[in-house]
Amino acid sequence: MAEEQKPGNPGAAIPGAATTGAVSSAAAPASPAPAAAAPAEPKPRVPFSPVLLKYINEPNSHTIEHYLARGGYETARSHVGVTEPATLIKLVDDSGLRGRGGAGFPTGKKWSFLAKGTGKPAYLAVNGDESEPGTFKDRYILERDPHELVEGVILTCYAIGSKHAFIYLRGEFILGFERLHAAVEAAKAKGLVGKNIFGTGHDGKPGVDLTITVVRGAGAYICGEETGMLSSIEGGRGYPKIKPPFPAVSGLFGCPTIVNNVETISAVTHIIKHGVAWHKQWGTEKSPGFKIFCLSGAVKKPGVYEVPLGIPMREMIDVYGGGLKDGRKMKAVIPGGLSAPVLTPEMVDKCTLDYESLASLGSMLGSGGITVLDEQVDMVSAIYNTMRFYHHESCGQCTPCREGTGWLEKVAHRFHHDEGHQGDVELLADICKNMRGRTICVLADAAAMPMQGFLQYFKKDFEAKIKDPAFVEKQRTYRDEISPKAKTLSATGAGPSALDVGSEMAE
Amino acid sequence: MSPSNMQSTNNAVRANWRKEFSPEGMKKFHEYADEYPNKRSALMMVLRLAEEEFGSITDEAMQIVADLCNVGVSHVQGMVTFYTHFKRPFHGKHRFMVCATLMCALENNTDAALKQVEAKLGIKTGEITADGLFSCEKVECLADCDKPPVVQCDKEHFTSMKGPQLDAYLDQLLKSEGKTAADYQGKPGIKMDQRVPTLPSHFNFPGESQVGARHFENKDAYSPEGQGELTTKIPGALATPLTVPVADGVNGANGALGSKHNAGKSHGSNQNGAGHG
Ligand SMILES: Cc1cc2nc3c(=O)[nH]c(=O)nc-3n(C[C@H](O)[C@H](O)[C@H](O)COP(=O)(O)O)c2cc1C
Ligand code: SF4
Repeated sequence: MAEEQKPGNPGAAIPGAATTGAVSSAAAPASPAPAAAAPAEPKPRVPFSPVLLKYINEPNSHTIEHYLARGGYETARSHVGVTEPATLIKLVDDSGLRGRGGAGFPTGKKWSFLAKGTGKPAYLAVNGDESEPGTFKDRYILERDPHELVEGVILTCYAIGSKHAFIYLRGEFILGFERLHAAVEAAKAKGLVGKNIFGTGHDGKPGVDLTITVVRGAGAYICGEETGMLSSIEGGRGYPKIKPPFPAVSGLFGCPTIVNNVETISAVTHIIKHGVAWHKQWGTEKSPGFKIFCLSGAVKKPGVYEVPLGIPMREMIDVYGGGLKDGRKMKAVIPGGLSAPVLTPEMVDKCTLDYESLASLGSMLGSGGITVLDEQVDMVSAIYNTMRFYHHESCGQCTPCREGTGWLEKVAHRFHHDEGHQGDVELLADICKNMRGRTICVLADAAAMPMQGFLQYFKKDFEAKIKDPAFVEKQRTYRDEISPKAKTLSATGAGPSALDVGSEMAE
Repeated sequence: MSPSNMQSTNNAVRANWRKEFSPEGMKKFHEYADEYPNKRSALMMVLRLAEEEFGSITDEAMQIVADLCNVGVSHVQGMVTFYTHFKRPFHGKHRFMVCATLMCALENNTDAALKQVEAKLGIKTGEITADGLFSCEKVECLADCDKPPVVQCDKEHFTSMKGPQLDAYLDQLLKSEGKTAADYQGKPGIKMDQRVPTLPSHFNFPGESQVGARHFENKDAYSPEGQGELTTKIPGALATPLTVPVADGVNGANGALGSKHNAGKSHGSNQNGAGHG
């Protein structure tokens, strides 16, 4: 029952994941693209089979024996202490690898921003918090192929000149923590982590040291935000810090720090191993390479799928996901984790899975968590659920976020109970506008964006849930009588005042 | 701010506290602490250690952790109330966490799972059974969104936890405690009370239901002076005293319950003290 693979029966262990390897290699449409991939693809399709998730369905894929048997740690062995670190940074920069944690920032560029000559140690912090709802990709790397990550950490630390890496996992990843911890210990026992790794430090050559510390969080979404995660590693509440200074200048313990996602770091090994041209054969010009997508919601075959960037969204849903289940109709798609604004079916038809396409549609690729909502879903209840999430997870440092998420939740709650007030739609839009760009971290934006998306495309669903205007008017008159202040505020014509929200506090 | 439950733990109680971790615990502590540039930064891992040592993060454990990591108890308490995944004394021995975020909640998966738990154990979200063995809460995304509903209990993680699968697991848990579903029929759950500061007795006597641990019969203990007296002393491996917290506890501290929603709703009943039989 626990997520343990049964040897000899790898496919059956976890139905969703089991499709990964099989589907991607079998159904990964080779050159003549199938009919589903209608939108014109500029480059001819290069066949692709999973790289990061290649071995996850094999028994014992998490052990060091399995990893070494498939040529593991050879890339690190051939580069650590041999290649110039600057060469590696340039290689990753040239490969065009972009961060897989959400923002899509070019990884090589981030590494080159690392402050040098400060006299302080540099740190690498790997973000395995994976708390964006709809995302469950890092889990598979951590639980099924932790050595892939460890090798990536070794190479990255060598490239950026760091002697100490922290890997932060969310507290709920109990199996992932145990396996990663065991992986680090196993690598230590083989001299791949620790002092003078890979036999460096002989023949007058400088030794390379590396400590890897695995940290377990304890259930806070905000610890996925990079500075929040650093605060948590420093032993405090996961409060994000104001930027600048960016972590690359002053991060963990005030020292220069690089923060990267688990998938990003795992991809580094493969890019260094196979080279820039190999990585660039897939994807689009600005989003080269491959990425793991997490498909959930009303599709026949939800799960993790590793595909080249730039494939049509329809292909992901209809070919990999097998289309919608029970012949349902699609109502909307959340394309990049819960914070990404929704797409309507028409937008889905136009959309390809790369950073630019989704940005041009006003949404984002984010962490790659695609959730398909079918026509049975009540959009208003869905956004209420979403807002409850952000209200619960706001760390509470900034007023617009702490209060704004709460207000959004309360107003959405009214709609959820078919009791929206006249003017509540405008009120929601107003709260969102006042939350964005005014806070320490972008959680406030992440909460406002889905609400704005829902308001833009599903306004009718909200309006249908506004309670009989006469009833609301009666209530308002009553309140105006007992509270003159409310009267003056609503008399300004600005719609319901903040007091309306306050009146729901008791909910 | 209201006085914390830390402050409310009186000196008589403190005198009986364990002063340190077990030798194995201390060994692990040094392993963790050595990896970090300073002891404070080892806090996350040391708190996990305390969870293992004490079964949950009690006031006593927080004091020890604070001393070990060179920080104030208030800092440790601040962390423990910020992070929702730490096990606290007010949780049940078996703590059900059901994911309630959108991907799981679609198609009614979360509600169905919660209903099943309620049918067997008689507890709703935010509640605990009267014997303190089981508690249930809604939590946010557990990162396995393709196989809803996702449930965590104790150290285990379950996907597609519906229908017979969930029932079978509940039965198995009940059996491991020597209980049956019938034991909980017609007995409504009790709201989890965030003020319970020390380890409830059932951690010492697995399987035996204890009174007084979590729901206090002695209402006088909520006197305005707030001097809840030491009531019982529990022998056994983890000899931690029972305490009765004072009236004004740490209600509303950073959503320590799975969902703020419940925390908010339970506010009223907490104020009156959980004087259930
Ligand atoms: C509210 C919030 C939550 C985030 N959660 C995660 C997360 O769970 N995992 C992750 O890798 N990045 C998360 N990020 C993004 C990180 O801040 C950061 O951009 C990322 O880890 C950088 O790694 P990358 O460059 O490899 O993408 C989050 C950001 C925000 C604002
Ligand atoms: S925006 Fe929200 S989550 Fe981010 S620091 Fe401010 S209050 Fe905390």
